[in-house]
Amino acid sequence: MAAILPRRSRRRVRWKAYLYVLPAFAFFAIFLGVPLLQTAQYSFYDWNGIGPSTWAGVQNYVDLILDQKLRDSFVHAGILIFFFAAVPVVLALALTAIISRGARMRGMSIFRTLLFLPQVIASVVVATTWVAIYSPNGLVNQLLRAVGLDSITTAWLGGFATALPAVGLIGSWLGIGLCLVLFLSGVANIQPELFESARLEGAGPVREFLSITLPALRGPIAVALTLTVVAALKTFDLVYITTHGGPGNATSVPAYEAYNRAFNTGQVGSAGAVAVVLTLLILIITVFIQKLQPKDVE
Amino acid sequence: MKKFSRRTVLSAGTAAAIALALEACAPGGSKTTTATSAAVSTDIASAGNVTLTVWDQNTDGGINTAQTQLNAAFMKEHPKVKIERVTRSFADLKTTLKLALTSKTAPDVVQVNQGYPDMGSFVQGQLIRPVDDYAKLYGWDSYYPQQLLDLNRFTPDGKTWQAGNLYGVSQTGEMVGLYYNKKILADLSLKAPRTISEFEALLPKIKAAGMLPISYGDVEKSPGIHIYGIVQAALAGKQAVSDLVTGKGGAWTDDSSVKAAQTLVDWVDKGYLTSDANGISRDAALAAFNSGKSAFTITGTWQLATVDKALGADAGFLVLAPDSSATPVTTGGEGLAWGITAASKNADAAAAYIDYVTNANASQVLIDTGNLPTVPPKDWAPKPNTLTADIASSWKSVNEGSGMVPYLDYSTPTFYDTLTAAVQELTAKQKSPTEFAAALQADYSAFIGKK
Amino acid sequence: MRIRRREMAFNYTVLIIFSAIAVIPLLGVLLSAVTPKGDPQGGFQLPSGLDLGNFVEAWNRGHFSTYMTSSALVTISVVVLTTIMSTLAGFAFARMDFPGKNALFFMLLAGLLLPAEAFIIPLYYNLRSAGITDTYWALILPQTAQSLAFGVFWMRNQFRTFPHEIMEAGRLDGASDWKLLWKVIVPPSIPAISTMCLLVAMWTWNEFLIPLIMVSSENLRTAPLGLAFFQGQHITDYSLLAAAGVIVALPIVLLYIFLQRRFISGMVNGISSR
Repeated sequence: MAAILPRRSRRRVRWKAYLYVLPAFAFFAIFLGVPLLQTAQYSFYDWNGIGPSTWAGVQNYVDLILDQKLRDSFVHAGILIFFFAAVPVVLALALTAIISRGARMRGMSIFRTLLFLPQVIASVVVATTWVAIYSPNGLVNQLLRAVGLDSITTAWLGGFATALPAVGLIGSWLGIGLCLVLFLSGVANIQPELFESARLEGAGPVREFLSITLPALRGPIAVALTLTVVAALKTFDLVYITTHGGPGNATSVPAYEAYNRAFNTGQVGSAGAVAVVLTLLILIITVFIQKLQPKDVE
Repeated sequence: MKKFSRRTVLSAGTAAAIALALEACAPGGSKTTTATSAAVSTDIASAGNVTLTVWDQNTDGGINTAQTQLNAAFMKEHPKVKIERVTRSFADLKTTLKLALTSKTAPDVVQVNQGYPDMGSFVQGQLIRPVDDYAKLYGWDSYYPQQLLDLNRFTPDGKTWQAGNLYGVSQTGEMVGLYYNKKILADLSLKAPRTISEFEALLPKIKAAGMLPISYGDVEKSPGIHIYGIVQAALAGKQAVSDLVTGKGGAWTDDSSVKAAQTLVDWVDKGYLTSDANGISRDAALAAFNSGKSAFTITGTWQLATVDKALGADAGFLVLAPDSSATPVTTGGEGLAWGITAASKNADAAAAYIDYVTNANASQVLIDTGNLPTVPPKDWAPKPNTLTADIASSWKSVNEGSGMVPYLDYSTPTFYDTLTAAVQELTAKQKSPTEFAAALQADYSAFIGKK
Repeated sequence: MRIRRREMAFNYTVLIIFSAIAVIPLLGVLLSAVTPKGDPQGGFQLPSGLDLGNFVEAWNRGHFSTYMTSSALVTISVVVLTTIMSTLAGFAFARMDFPGKNALFFMLLAGLLLPAEAFIIPLYYNLRSAGITDTYWALILPQTAQSLAFGVFWMRNQFRTFPHEIMEAGRLDGASDWKLLWKVIVPPSIPAISTMCLLVAMWTWNEFLIPLIMVSSENLRTAPLGLAFFQGQHITDYSLLAAAGVIVALPIVLLYIFLQRRFISGMVNGISSR
């Protein structure tokens, strides 16, 4: 974000400003704002989406705790956060630590392009790709067979123990390149003299990382965490294409539950409650992660 | 991120609260009802050029061929009518039809799954049109057996199934059974089973010979309904399961239903089913059977053409009987009902089309392309010792002995989800048979209690 | 600073390994897409020959010409609408003072974080009663609203860093705000605006949930949605699915290859400043 605030020469109110803001705000209000409030309202009703609705009080929220299927979906989202956020951020940090000493390398832009590529591919395409990779004769099982691990080959997306980690690893794959690019460009902003003087003082790689690299990366880390955690909580497309929430309900996540309840099984109120809680979770976690941001960036 | 003052956040919050208060009227409060009172007619030419949008799920080999032929023939006979065909897999049709029906540009003709999850809620929402008037006009009410028509009936409030108005007719007969590989059984000197016990006695012998007994894949979730359905029907008997599905009595926690679940678990434990079945698609499971990699597979008559093409004279089909009875029982009935949407402006043309793809003439086309029509012609005599002959005779004996149990997922509006997830959990040993039964019963009693 | 050769080699090895991890699944799709029908499918192997027939078959059987047209139309509309409205609003938020400015901006900003599930359910029923579900509008309008949060934010940041002196010079010449915006500020901001367009285009093209819910007619379906249903029907036909996947991903990947600097800097800076 811009570090320099523009100098404001005159402080007079310009009412015309509202005309400039109006179209964007009207769009926002009609298509996001009001529906958002209606979602909250729906969540207090029992409605099948077709007939009349009845007031349900907080029953839909109580069900989030009582209904094991719903409770599980939030637990699954938590596990996905581990795979989508923790794995790539930690891994990318480790890699950054290793290569930070040579932060200025030739050919970086090619690597950046390749590392970033998964980000631009439609999630539906990513999902169909990974369905093939995890299939009984897919890449994963091929590799396992090649190293003589035939005994553990399986249909990864079809097993209760393996399906959720399998979906999660797709998220790790998506996140790792993004995190690396973010961290490496963060490191590139560190003045080389800092490393140089640290080395002169005889600091090893660990000290160097802890005292120079890591503090400098607080901003990028917060950004990476925000993006990946929110992506984990929002996961819908991947689950819809790869497993439809199965086997059983082993991979059902809140976003999928909200969709399925609202548009398939006629439990619109319950879907609303799931959506509300999911939204609150995302907002709270984002605010929390923002606290990691160094204070000096506005 | 920019820090916002407390006052800013508060005022945004207040604005939100006010908007919420303004919005405080219950969702789904008003619903305009459209009454269809126009006289019905078989004359569809006078309406001028008409485009009918048709949603079907006829994606499997044989039925796809039949549908393509029937559509072409219909358009040739009625040059003013253009058929826009939209094909979805069964799972995709289930997930998109509700949204499609509620839009202003709803399709004209749709295939609707019977029971509470789909047909019941569509009727309740007045999204599909009763077709009793067309049934009289085209003689559907006398062409189809009463019990099959009843499957497509609902009271106008969508609350009681198998009573009230007719909401469609079906093109194909359907029943789930055992496809078996005659050559494999002969090589092992085994006889085709007749009862569930005989079948279970074969399984260890096939397994011992190093052959997979039953090819089974359940990625799509619906095959779980079929495999549990036939075991439950054979163990509990037709009447008990029928009463359960139609809400007349009984519980999913009854002994024989739990025992059916235990049977499936035993099959998994003993390696009688494809391992990791929850990760194998139904197509892959069928392909394995078709290439001689298993002795049996459990699926419906809709796969007749595909199996016939692959195995030819080696393919057989049978339906198991309970131990104490001579009548085979199974799960099935008829294919999805072809209904007319309430939004369709061309109900006459839609009805003419539905009649065209389901009538006696269509039945012959269906047979010629390797399908089982809802009402097979009286003189239907397929070549003996063929797969078609097996299916024809099974169909006859099941219907004559009234051994047909409706599909289990019809039971409650959420039962498709509950049952298919529970079967996956059962076969993967995430749930014990008792827990499985309890999960089904919880869904079931909540619905029955509400009614 | 001298970097030891061994250290450098190690750095490259790490980068190469992780670039490979990012690319191999995608290469697998490409390989699979040109694998002839008879070859074993689903795995990662060199095909016995090059068969472009899968693309033709996927294109025809999956109705992708219709889907791609829909996607293009929706994407272009969303980009145009978003650009115009974001430019206007961004200008006001960056350069004007008015009561409630912060509150309004905060609300728009919240749009960046909202999951689609937060609003899609009532939005569907609202649009249905307005009679515009199952039309292009039901795709274009909500996705424009979704893109605006980012667009306004991006343009505001852009306009805030715009050199003050140039604006003042324009003011002294007696230009109105309107003229100032379009004649003085926008032309030098074209690179930033086009970066925003690229990102919005990518997000719109790749969107899945909104088309899944909002449209049901065959001819309105977008490419990712078409692919999802295509997969439902050809679940084990990996080569055909791979070919379809390549078709769906290709437009954005091509844009990315030619404009990758802009994509990456846009995403890194744009999302970083969230």
